[in-house]
Amino acid sequence: MPETIQPVFVEVVVNGYTYQREVEPRLLLVELLREELGLTGTHVGCDTSYCGACTVLLDGRPVKSCTVLAVQADGSAIETVEGLERDGELHPLQAAFSEHHALQCGYCTPGMLMACKSLLDENPAPGREAIRKGIAGNVCRCTGYQNILAAVEDAATKLRGA
Amino acid sequence: MDMSFKGDFEVGMPRAQTFALLADPQKFVPVLPTFHSMQMKEGDASTAVVRVKVGIGKVHGIATTEMSLTEREAPVRARYVGKGSVMGSAYNMIVGFTLDDAAGGGTRVNWEGTTQIHGKILSIAGGGMRGYAEKEIRKVIDSLQGALVSVEHFESVVARAQAQGQAAPAGSAGLLASLIAWLRGLFGGGTPAAGASEPATVAHAPAEQAAPRRVPAPDPVRPLREIRASIEVDGNGNGRWVGQHLRRKEDLRLVRGVGLFLDDHQASGMLYMGFARSPYAHARIRRIDVDAAKALPGVRCVLTGAEVAAQTTPFMQIGAPPGSLVEDYGIATDTVRYPGEPVVLVVAESPRLVEDAVELVEVEYEVLPAVTVSEQALRNDPILHPAVGGNVIFQGTWDHGDVETAFREAAHVVRISRLHFHRFSSTPLETAGAVATWSPRGDIDLVSNIGLPGVAAQMLAAYLNVSTEQLRLRSHDVGGNFGTKTVIHTFMGLAALASRATGGATVKWVESRSDNLASFHGGERTFLDTEVALDADGVITGLRSRHLDDCGAYTRYEPLGCAIWAQVYAATYRLRNMHIEFTQVVSNKAPCTPNRGYSRLQQLWFMERVIDICAHELGIPADQMRLRNYIRPEEFPYTTPNGGVYDSGDYPRMLEEAKKLIGYDAWRERQAALRAEGRLIGIGIGTTLDSGTNNFGQVLLVNPDSVFSGNNEGARVRIGLDGSVIVTLGSVPQGQGHETTAAQVVADVLKIGPDLITVRSGFDTAWNSYGGLSGTIASQFVVTGLSAVHGAAERLKAQISRLAAGVLEAGEEQLEFGMGEMGPQVSVRGEPARAVNYWRLSNLANCNTAAVPEHLRDIDLNVLYIYKPPFSLPDVGKKFGNQTLTYAAQLHIAVVEVDPVTWQPRILDYAVMDDCGVAINPKIVEGQVHGATCHGIGAAMQEAFQFDSEGNLITATFTDYAPMTSMNMPDLKCGSIETPSPFSYNGAKGCGEGGGAPLHALCAAVQDAVHARGVIVTESHCSASVLMATGERPNRERVVSVASR
Repeated sequence: MPETIQPVFVEVVVNGYTYQREVEPRLLLVELLREELGLTGTHVGCDTSYCGACTVLLDGRPVKSCTVLAVQADGSAIETVEGLERDGELHPLQAAFSEHHALQCGYCTPGMLMACKSLLDENPAPGREAIRKGIAGNVCRCTGYQNILAAVEDAATKLRGA
Repeated sequence: MDMSFKGDFEVGMPRAQTFALLADPQKFVPVLPTFHSMQMKEGDASTAVVRVKVGIGKVHGIATTEMSLTEREAPVRARYVGKGSVMGSAYNMIVGFTLDDAAGGGTRVNWEGTTQIHGKILSIAGGGMRGYAEKEIRKVIDSLQGALVSVEHFESVVARAQAQGQAAPAGSAGLLASLIAWLRGLFGGGTPAAGASEPATVAHAPAEQAAPRRVPAPDPVRPLREIRASIEVDGNGNGRWVGQHLRRKEDLRLVRGVGLFLDDHQASGMLYMGFARSPYAHARIRRIDVDAAKALPGVRCVLTGAEVAAQTTPFMQIGAPPGSLVEDYGIATDTVRYPGEPVVLVVAESPRLVEDAVELVEVEYEVLPAVTVSEQALRNDPILHPAVGGNVIFQGTWDHGDVETAFREAAHVVRISRLHFHRFSSTPLETAGAVATWSPRGDIDLVSNIGLPGVAAQMLAAYLNVSTEQLRLRSHDVGGNFGTKTVIHTFMGLAALASRATGGATVKWVESRSDNLASFHGGERTFLDTEVALDADGVITGLRSRHLDDCGAYTRYEPLGCAIWAQVYAATYRLRNMHIEFTQVVSNKAPCTPNRGYSRLQQLWFMERVIDICAHELGIPADQMRLRNYIRPEEFPYTTPNGGVYDSGDYPRMLEEAKKLIGYDAWRERQAALRAEGRLIGIGIGTTLDSGTNNFGQVLLVNPDSVFSGNNEGARVRIGLDGSVIVTLGSVPQGQGHETTAAQVVADVLKIGPDLITVRSGFDTAWNSYGGLSGTIASQFVVTGLSAVHGAAERLKAQISRLAAGVLEAGEEQLEFGMGEMGPQVSVRGEPARAVNYWRLSNLANCNTAAVPEHLRDIDLNVLYIYKPPFSLPDVGKKFGNQTLTYAAQLHIAVVEVDPVTWQPRILDYAVMDDCGVAINPKIVEGQVHGATCHGIGAAMQEAFQFDSEGNLITATFTDYAPMTSMNMPDLKCGSIETPSPFSYNGAKGCGEGGGAPLHALCAAVQDAVHARGVIVTESHCSASVLMATGERPNRERVVSVASR
């Protein structure tokens, strides 16, 4: 029989809102976001940190939230796809993804957007190869990546101009 | 990463006996809680190959370790060295132990071990490996202490354990137990342990395969398709929106992360379903003990296969006896037939409790020999389904034209002994799932991401012993399908049973990635004894072959693939004389499911291999070979030897355009220069078809008693109470932009903007806008779905026109549709003041009915239209008839370089031409073309389901399966031509599947690169390991022969 496990207190700030929960120590960050906080924009694709559908920013760094425990995120600030839009305005990446048809089914899109945001935060003017590497940990099964690369190039240009 | 561990523990048994038993792995290893199987390494008596089940929670796999005894001093010490691999990672380890006498006649075991781990696994387990390892070691020590009490006790434990495993001859291993368990901890980890230091960060670093070597591109990339401002598609002046690149209606919710995917459904009191699954490819179930699982607090229901069978009817079979005698409950009853097959169904209050409960299920297996190679299945030893009496599910002969004469008069006969199309899957990023609620009132709500709900409803109703009309099937956003979710109905049925068994609770089933990889595979096919007759110019005049299709352990959607392939019988070629014996067998692999290009891409790949091998052997350039054999543009519509009607096309022009795109002649020159430097450069062409809109009458070819034929799709268009335009579809959108394109069509009919049209997301039988064959399959939406939408919109328009004419007291011929100040309206031409808007019309039809003259009261402004393509029944005896309506074409050219030492192929340049007739939304077409290309490149270069000799799936996680990433995807040079289909109202042809063109082009390119080394590409998978195996033992002499006169 599995041993009885005491819940652990966790406090996280997600997209600017503070949440406090008692969680099982084994609860994954993505499970906390989806099941406990109802933020279902972050998706699970592979369980083994290959596909990046679950990518969120943890204190500004991109992490695969299927491979981070909720308790590891205690005291952290987390950004998810739901926090990208500001005052009713889509983030330039969100707009560019739509403009360039860089999404089809949309399942990878939230993680892809967060990985791209991190990339552009670090490198506002990435070349095509840098973008390629920037999304190397995010799998898209629909688009063949061509239009994602174009969308990120475009969004980078717009962000620099903003 | 290096780790060291050591410790000691005491057991009750004396030292000499402890040593002897620990040093006998044949007895010792099976005691491990994670034991799977063990064999001695072939040709090395001192090395044991030990397999253990690895995995925690949702991640499952088999780890294989080779262990050698390097030091042995009885009864004091021993030392082992091991190496192994799992989940794309490698490890080495050394473990030793010394034994001391302990008080009371027992033994103290002092042990010590070190390991080095390399690979991706480190990023998965993150900082939590050590914690896991310690926990797992503890478990093994507990089991050792429990077993090593006395010789008798130990042997009884071993006997029980061995009964479950394959006790193959074994030599020395020993205390690898703790290491194995330790590794289980290391490699099991989807979840690092509490207190681990660093969270795993996203790698911005390169993936496993280096980027292609850069070679200057001869031509700049040009746009796929010019975005046209307007086109005329129906001769009535409509078409303002059709043909445009519109931003998709779907996008706004998806980029904001507020789509509604399967796993996003939440309900109070929701329960979760999972399965204990088979660790073996083939085994008899001897005993199942679910007591511990049932006793776990929070577990609400546990059902064995036998319990499921007692309350269901086996799933309906598509085929005819004896193949249809397969008994399929979606869960094993007495025998498991593929690794990962569900054995025990568990329902609990959280997904994590399901995992706990699954671990508590005990199943005792008697392992049986497994069928892992298709040809082996034909020997009927073993037989998978005794009721069938053998492993053959279907056998049929396609014979058309005069094959004998063709061979008698041939100038050349080329023989190809064996070609093999491998198993892979397009693995949509969202796995399969279902949310079932079987209410006590009897209605069954099934949310799922299945792609073919009309047929699924019929299969499910019979299985559950209910009426189809009790079932509500629906979906919202679907995270990709590519055909692979066509057969998830078995799991949907189990979810429904789980809901009923829990009193009508809402039960959610979401497949893990490991389960997905174990469950749904694209079709595998072997082509045997192919003979090709050619004339002196290299024109193929006749073909004979035996095709052996392997559908896996259960038939599910099969043997439909045994008919579907013949849609593209002779591919893009004029060949008239063909004789193909087609056989389908079962094997101990996952059941096959349709997968992008279903059953046709295998045939198309085969024909392209035939073309290229013949070209190479006869010294004819690959492009010339094709031009001599293509169906000619003036021959369309072209009737194939088996009665198919190709609607339109121009393959020579596509070839010409593709050659321009990639700079073919320049590449040929460059190839010659680089070859002179010893580099292996190849250029390959792949021509393929994407046949769309099935005639279900082809089911008759595999089952003369079938009650399916033709095709249909529904759509409903109505004016809402507020005057808005609402569309519901019978199709199941999965990312193809159905909402957007449907709105474009309606907008053109009513002459209003698509923004004013609401297309409901997803599918719902409750909308009453579907037919019995509804679904998103077989590249059909643009024809079936949009024809239905168009038909419904035209009928609605006719109603609007009649009602407006009555209201405006004008003749219908005077009316004009369009936008007014009060929204969408109808006005009298030339008199803008005489207008009525949609709100007023809806008000009259829906809320103000007494104000409407009696002769207009039949108008409801709520129109269902079911489109039925113009099909007839095939001639079953002659295997002759039109199986599909449209034939989009793709032509790819690839340039590859194969490393002469590692055999790693790299793409240097890549061009894509497509022709899908009229494009409704060119940007969406472009997306489909890119996506299909990516899947094909992945399948050819890196994606393959791999099995060991016992049938265990080695590629059990994404880390092993390695789907395409941005690092492996070359930049594409895309172009298109447009030959409108004469058979669809809009001139469009379905384009979703892409026909597997990259497999054809890349195999041809690799062939071109390595032909001089005596290598024939006989596998559809061209990874370095496959090429190296062939390259080190050139196969040309064995595979191909040419007889000329």
